[in-house]
Amino acid sequence: MRRRTLAILRKEFIHILRDWRSLLIIILMPVLMIVLYGYAITMDMRDIRFSVIDDARTPESRALVQAFSENGFFHLVPGPITHEDIPERFQRRDIHLVLVIPPEYSRDLARDHSTRVQLIIDASDNNVGTFVNNYSEQVLAGVMREMNGRAPLLFDITPRIFYNPDMRSTNFFVPGLVALILMLISALLTSIAITREKETGTMEQILVSPVRPLEIVIGKVLPYVLLGLLNAGVIVLSASVLFDVPIRGSLLLLGLLSLMFVFVALSFGLLFSTVARTQQIAMFMTLMATILPTIMLSGFIFPIASMPAVLRWIAQVLPATYYLTIVRGIMLKGIGLAELSTHALVLLGMGALLLLIATKRFQLRLE
Amino acid sequence: MNTPHDMDTTHDIAVEARELSKVFGAFRAVDSISLQVRRGEIFGFLGANGAGKTTAIRMFCGLLPPSAGAARVAGYDVATQARAIKQNIGYMSQKFSLYEDLTVAENIEFYGGVYGLTREGIRSTTARLLEELQLGDQRNTLTRALPLGWKQRLALSVSLMHQPSIIFLDEPTGGVDPISRRNFWRVIHDLAAAGTTVFVTTHYMDEAEYCERISIMYQGRIIDMGSPSELKRRHGKSSMQDVFVHLVNEPAAAQGAGGAA
Amino acid sequence: MRRIFYLVQKEFRQVFRDKSMIGILFVVPFIQLVLLGNAITTEVKHVRVLLGDRDGTPMSRAFLQSFGGTEYIDVVGRESDERAIARALDRGDASVAVVVPRHFQRDVLRGERPAVQVLADGIDGNSAGVALGYVSRIAAEYQARLISEDPALGRQLRDLRRVQAEPRFWFNPDLQSKVYVVPGIVALLLLIITVFLTSMGIVREKEIGTLEQLMVTPIRATQLILGKIIPFSILGMLEIAIAMGLVYVLFGIGVEGSLLLLFAESGLFILTTLGVGIFISTISETQQQALFVGWFFMIFAILLSGFFIPIANMPETVQYLTYLNPMRYFMVILREIYLKGSSLPHLLNETLAMVVFGVTVFSAAVWRYRVKLG
Repeated sequence: MRRRTLAILRKEFIHILRDWRSLLIIILMPVLMIVLYGYAITMDMRDIRFSVIDDARTPESRALVQAFSENGFFHLVPGPITHEDIPERFQRRDIHLVLVIPPEYSRDLARDHSTRVQLIIDASDNNVGTFVNNYSEQVLAGVMREMNGRAPLLFDITPRIFYNPDMRSTNFFVPGLVALILMLISALLTSIAITREKETGTMEQILVSPVRPLEIVIGKVLPYVLLGLLNAGVIVLSASVLFDVPIRGSLLLLGLLSLMFVFVALSFGLLFSTVARTQQIAMFMTLMATILPTIMLSGFIFPIASMPAVLRWIAQVLPATYYLTIVRGIMLKGIGLAELSTHALVLLGMGALLLLIATKRFQLRLE
Repeated sequence: MNTPHDMDTTHDIAVEARELSKVFGAFRAVDSISLQVRRGEIFGFLGANGAGKTTAIRMFCGLLPPSAGAARVAGYDVATQARAIKQNIGYMSQKFSLYEDLTVAENIEFYGGVYGLTREGIRSTTARLLEELQLGDQRNTLTRALPLGWKQRLALSVSLMHQPSIIFLDEPTGGVDPISRRNFWRVIHDLAAAGTTVFVTTHYMDEAEYCERISIMYQGRIIDMGSPSELKRRHGKSSMQDVFVHLVNEPAAAQGAGGAA
Repeated sequence: MRRIFYLVQKEFRQVFRDKSMIGILFVVPFIQLVLLGNAITTEVKHVRVLLGDRDGTPMSRAFLQSFGGTEYIDVVGRESDERAIARALDRGDASVAVVVPRHFQRDVLRGERPAVQVLADGIDGNSAGVALGYVSRIAAEYQARLISEDPALGRQLRDLRRVQAEPRFWFNPDLQSKVYVVPGIVALLLLIITVFLTSMGIVREKEIGTLEQLMVTPIRATQLILGKIIPFSILGMLEIAIAMGLVYVLFGIGVEGSLLLLFAESGLFILTTLGVGIFISTISETQQQALFVGWFFMIFAILLSGFFIPIANMPETVQYLTYLNPMRYFMVILREIYLKGSSLPHLLNETLAMVVFGVTVFSAAVWRYRVKLG
């Protein structure tokens, strides 16, 4: 039994190594991705362009405008603008925000100690809209502090930020990329590897030989497990070298749990390959099942807790959800198996279940 | 556009090559070959794998422009009139080239359409081919389910749908059982008898015997050419197998013979 | 023309031969559309908060009482021991802990301004910042209540000068994510389907030898390419039409601008992605290679399209890189027409960019084909 598995294994390795173009892509692509997206993905909005309709024209209103333009995030687009211009300007996309200061701005401030301004925000991208609003609130808070001096507060709030004191978004996203890349590459690899044999007819050859389904499956999966692990190593290494993402926990544990995750992802791909007849279909199935859910539902960018209930349930069955907690936990929190045992067990269970179904489906094909 | 019949009156030569060469980098895949194939002749290219047969055939079909020399197929220059050539030739390669995920009838319809047959023409041709190949019951079967021998015959029929004056067959019988192979060659003989020129490459020595004339290729060159009986006589051998081995092992004999031919 | 018809017919037959393809093209995408339409939001809800009370006075209890009761904060427990809190953060059981210090009530009444400690998991910096904001707001509201009960402090509060912001969110007043996400998913699905159907389809014909067979027929290269473009463009347009209908029926999101313009721009986008698919097929020998190259392009196109992360958030160099991404332009166009009702003059730059991209990629593909034949 072991010899046969070994034979399939060796063959699979030869396949992988011979097609150097694919190999190069498999190994280099993650590095490229981590470099590119590690830099690209941040949640810090820069350069919010705004214009002002200042109907007050008082020293106070000018101070307000100045507070916005000196904030660093906002960039004043000069020139007159009227209310009627706004739709046109938003459609031209040269500004995100119009700050409208009413004529009674200074009068209200002096008389009632309370005044208001209008923020007209282009919210066609709701994320941009939220950012612009939040940053504006910050500017206004600063303006009020300036006007009032030390506020007569009864108590203070002193935050202490754990794990990522500067709240750098690279620390958040780069470990997430590890999960994303591993999931996508591993699942694709196996689903294609097996359907390719089906398409070229070599699978029949293997199926008529006395090899057992489990042996085929193991022989098929193992090389890619190693490849996936290599990938994980390269990605984690570049994360820590290029982006100074700390690895506070045990590297060994990270490797072990990554192995488990790769195993799940591969089994996932394997399952698709038993369903699909052609490489094209295997590819579509895998892409549709992995790419959007992994990016959107696993907590990679968007917090799971904020999602509607149905989506939270779906997130619970995504392997990437668990692995994300594991990577971030080990790299940033420095936690160990004690805290992550549930996650590890869930991954193990998922992998075993998927592998079982895939092997069963193989047997069905044989009969 | 010229029909094959117009051409027949002006040319009796279907394929002609003069010092035709193809170079890939430093590698001379086809090295200055010259030949003439008459209309209605069965002409064979015999040689081991990598001898340059496929490259030569691809140049004749207008798939590859030659690096040097010239060739005319059906009266058209391969370097400048590839499209006119394609209208007048059929081609079937060692790679089985029907769509496995289309049915038999769909394959016929598709290639008929590609060759510009009318709707009516496609309908009648489909009926005729299914009848000839006795595939009537299989018309809606996926091609992948057919036995290899039938696939081959179907592929041949499909490549003849537009009634080309020349058909190029590149290792057409690879992997096919002997009975199917014999049947296949019977069709080829019928074709030639009806005036179609057949240009075939093979590395099966027994198949070489079916050809009226063969040229033996070795390392990109034609090292000898003639009818099978002529070649056997010239080298004093009893089978094409022996002739081939003799020529390949003794390049000197080949040189002399090639010069004589 | 008739030859192209047969090429198109063949392509459709092949795509739909496998019944699972129908599911892949027309069922799964729309399930995802419906499900994920609600998913993307940077709004932070259900922050898991631990409350710690080291004071145990009416005031500290009242303060902590004011947490919870909203969808923004879930109180998950009570804990004031720092080590236990750290463990809870480690395990991810809580992401924020609020700890009221000893002598809180006494110090407040003495005017000594005690400090309430907030411990937060900062890994997701954005969420952490927002969560801190929630805590501050609750603290501020509680103080306001205390102050209003104390006349002396009340006067001070009246002297406090305030500037209130009235935000108006145009085009998407409730900051709904689906308004924004759904067009994005449509673009994404189009991208996946068109790039992979063409690149893998052509490479497959290369692998099995039918492409060579087609090359010896009198078909012209342009006819061959049209035979690939037409069926997949039709499929792509169909996807768009279905998606738009679904979005209207399910989410009530209609197209603000010209439907015609939207379809024309979609067609243009599909042409650029088909061009990419064809180009990929010219540089790949096997379907696996085509798949990986296509995949790489796709991830690039998705993450740098402004779909998930606003392009304005990216570093300048990366922003330049996004100019090479046709999806970036299409995302803008789609959203502008959909939500703002913008017309062509406002979208001229994006449209031109896609035209340039399309022309370039098609020329490159044709050039590669020439090189291969020569």
